[in-house]
Amino acid sequence: MDFSLLTDALSSKSYGKIADICDELMLKGAAEMEGVPFEEEWPFAIHLLAHIYVNDINSARYLWKSIPAAVKERQPEVVAAWRIGQRLWTRDYAAVHEAIRAFDWSQQIQPLVVAFSEVYTKRMFQLLLSAYSTIGIQDTALFLGMNEDDATNYVVQQGWVVDPDSRMLTSLKHYQTSTESRLIRHPLIGENSINLT
Amino acid sequence: MYTVESLVAQIQGLSSSAGDLSLLLTHLKQADEFLHNESTQLFPFLEQLDPTLHSLGYLYILEASTSGPVTNEQARRLVLLISRFLTSCVADQIRLAPEKFIAVCKSFKDQVLMLEAPVRGVVPLLEAVKKLRSSEHLTTLHPDFLQICLLAKCYKTGFSILEDDIFEVDQPRDFYLYCYYGGMICIGQKRFQKALELLHNVVTAPMSSINAIAVEAFKKYVLVSLIYNGQYYSSLAWMCILYIELANTYSIGKISELETYIQTNREKFDSDNNLGLVKQVVSSMYKRNIQRLTQTYLTLSLQDIANTVQLSSPKEAEMHVLQMIQDGEIYATINQRDGMVRFLEDPEQYKTCEMIEHIDSSIQRIMTLSKKLTAMDELISCDPLYLAKVGRERQRFDFDDFDSVPQKFNI
Amino acid sequence: MEPDDEIYANGEPDSSNNRNRPIISGEQLDIEAYAGLYTGRTKITRLLFIADQCGQNNNTAMQMEALRMAYEEIKKGENTQLFRDVVHKIDGRLGDKYGMDSAWCEAVDRRAVQKKEKLENELNAYRTNLIKESIRMGYNDFGDYHYTHGSLADAFKSYVRTRDYCTTSKHVIHMCMSAILVSIETGQFTHVTSYISKAEQTVDALDPNTVSKLHCAAGLAHLDSKKYKLAARKFLEVAPELGNSYNEVIAPQDVATYGGLCALASFDRMELKNKVIDSINFRNFLELVPEVRELIHDFYSSHYASCLEYLGNLKANLMLDIHLHDHVQTLYDQIRNKALIQYTHPFVSVDLHVMANAFKTTVAGLEKELEALITDNQIQARIDSHNKILYARHADQRNATFQRVLQTGNEFDRDVRAMLLRANLIKLEYKASRKL
Repeated sequence: MDFSLLTDALSSKSYGKIADICDELMLKGAAEMEGVPFEEEWPFAIHLLAHIYVNDINSARYLWKSIPAAVKERQPEVVAAWRIGQRLWTRDYAAVHEAIRAFDWSQQIQPLVVAFSEVYTKRMFQLLLSAYSTIGIQDTALFLGMNEDDATNYVVQQGWVVDPDSRMLTSLKHYQTSTESRLIRHPLIGENSINLT
Repeated sequence: MYTVESLVAQIQGLSSSAGDLSLLLTHLKQADEFLHNESTQLFPFLEQLDPTLHSLGYLYILEASTSGPVTNEQARRLVLLISRFLTSCVADQIRLAPEKFIAVCKSFKDQVLMLEAPVRGVVPLLEAVKKLRSSEHLTTLHPDFLQICLLAKCYKTGFSILEDDIFEVDQPRDFYLYCYYGGMICIGQKRFQKALELLHNVVTAPMSSINAIAVEAFKKYVLVSLIYNGQYYSSLAWMCILYIELANTYSIGKISELETYIQTNREKFDSDNNLGLVKQVVSSMYKRNIQRLTQTYLTLSLQDIANTVQLSSPKEAEMHVLQMIQDGEIYATINQRDGMVRFLEDPEQYKTCEMIEHIDSSIQRIMTLSKKLTAMDELISCDPLYLAKVGRERQRFDFDDFDSVPQKFNI
Repeated sequence: MEPDDEIYANGEPDSSNNRNRPIISGEQLDIEAYAGLYTGRTKITRLLFIADQCGQNNNTAMQMEALRMAYEEIKKGENTQLFRDVVHKIDGRLGDKYGMDSAWCEAVDRRAVQKKEKLENELNAYRTNLIKESIRMGYNDFGDYHYTHGSLADAFKSYVRTRDYCTTSKHVIHMCMSAILVSIETGQFTHVTSYISKAEQTVDALDPNTVSKLHCAAGLAHLDSKKYKLAARKFLEVAPELGNSYNEVIAPQDVATYGGLCALASFDRMELKNKVIDSINFRNFLELVPEVRELIHDFYSSHYASCLEYLGNLKANLMLDIHLHDHVQTLYDQIRNKALIQYTHPFVSVDLHVMANAFKTTVAGLEKELEALITDNQIQARIDSHNKILYARHADQRNATFQRVLQTGNEFDRDVRAMLLRANLIKLEYKASRKL
């Protein structure tokens, strides 16, 4: 099998393209294999992580299901890669970081995992930004996969406000709108809700 | 009489121009029976031909040599040979003998399945479909390709051909299978809208008697309707009481009742291979119930959400809301300090250029479809076969009318 | 010394008590007064119905009172089956005076047999002589005979048989009215409806009072089939001249109660004002049941707490009504929902605490009620459960239009493609059939 496209993509850190490259290579390899089953030399761990990197957990899941049991037994890295995918599939947000840290990744794969870890942290922060107006420091640390101090620093740099007493973080976006809306809505209530007593 | 050698020579000599090829086709048709008689001797001769240059001739010989029963051992060699042929043959040549091409593909599919290696068939069959099809036309290879994709768990690849419009159908059965397998692939890809469309095609297809494909499609159709639309109501009830009852239970909106119903009928759903979908039906009800709250409340506490939706704790409610925000299914912000959720309106303002372009392209598409519909209407109303059918029925009435008149005179 | 106090004491509260003792009121039903409104068979069945209901609610005193009056009433008639039933129901609990009277039963039954023979002979004679009018009378007498002796199905058959011998419109009306009466008693309201329309076709013999009676019967039929708006309209058309003339079926108080509640549950504000509150006709009926009149006015002037209080007080007695009891809860729910909707309608925002107070409920309970109404799209608003405020929701027309356009486009796209496919499949079919 000709892996040059794949190695090129890996060395140029074009991780987003790897999933498609792998899909195509694998199916072609399967069609044209002679003698040795292609599964023997196929880099399943990279293929899994490539799907995970572009957030295509569905494809990662089907790939995992099609991997022969022998391969899963022989290559703990494949299992470790799917463990990340599995956490993503079940939306166990914090456990994804644990799954990344729990394995000593081989040299070839390490940069891909690091890149995914960074992408995932950013994705998580975007999620927090869109979903929370206030959130506890502890939860933030879990979502971002950091300790509490690092997590606090990370979000404060992005303009969030810390309330040290309640150990709560408030998104700047919501910090402004919530005070504004309070100002607008109150007179409205006073004028319009007519008291019948 | 023929010899294989002479045929090979003809193939080599007559494969370049269109005129040559039609001549070759005539020869091959005449030699077809001979080739089939010689089927066991043909393999070595394939070596002398180039699948790209001599696609048509190669096809005839390949078809003849695969027409008999194939052993496991032979299959190993054949699969490689055919998959190379399918990827490298020339579309213009093989389309001169589509029935031969289809026969080769069918036998290829059987061999791949015999070797229990469906993944080896994905790319070659995709190539085959692409070469055989003309636009908007369903080939008999479409369902085979989709079936192989399902077995090889290559959902994404299978999904790639489902985007094409299909209007022309030769065999209703191919079409039902295409829609059924296609529906299953869409379900796997969580493209429920497309899945509904495909399954709906089977469920509403005009058929004189109900077939097994339609019944299975119907079951999945009900489940996907519940997941995607949160309801199933239609005049189509058929005999699948189990599923209709599920839909009725769903419509009550109570998780506990739904789960009880599923638990009591677990084995039946399992034997239909629908348990996975049924589980998705349950989780869709949580979503549906939360979505309904967004229509009703501006703010609501996580505790109240948990109570209303039957979740065990505010934390669990928070996670459900978070997932739905992540998937763009609701617009909301969670306030952990007060344990409240504020529901927001859809921020889409329909003001972006992309949106305008999207609407514009929809309009274009709809206009094209309308024209197509009008054309089809004209075509059918001018079709002599159709007119004959309608005419025959009308005539029968006329005769009846006339019949009664002379009878009176006879009395 | 105390003229002011006296005036006050004689003022509003007392005068309303004296003015018109309502039959249906918040207090426990005065059975005697209630029964006095009716005559004939309905009086007995209504009393027996009350006894049954009270029996289920363990209100023995009232049950016994109703049974006692039913007993006395039945004894005035000739229905021995009903008599045996009521005696069985009393079961000796009212003493010897209300026990089995076999002598009476035998006497009545004996007379009945004789009467039947006589009627049969007469009818046979008429039939052999082919005198149309006499045959009609004969069947009619037979109907009356069966009716008084409690075999309603036979009564219905006999009355309907007179139909072929009716020579004047008046006869037709008489036949219809008899059939309607029996059918109401048996609860066969499809018959009621069909004989009403038959009667209404006989325009020349319809006097205003008969028209009113037909409206009453139609109202009952609509009520039975839960068509409250149609029922309300029929009751509202009844002319006050009806008075007690149809009390073998319905009392004018019932017209007010049935009509008023159905109207409240099903009319919009406009119709309520025009057809109920401003109707001079219906005002006469409402005067008979001041509670209903008051609660309608309270509803219209948005005094929901007071309206709901009246309704709450009336409920126990309405549950004793033979025609209304099945519909009380539905009507009440609809009225309450209407009140909730009407209350929120004019406001941009509503304080849920204030609103809960007005509807005599808790904030949490109110939230649930509002949630259901919003889900049902009956109230366009959203609840700020955090601050307990209801905000009116003004849908963005522009966005909604865009959304609908896109959705319709998608549906059209999908449907046309499905159509093209199906047309192709049908084409295959007729081509195949051609080949055969």
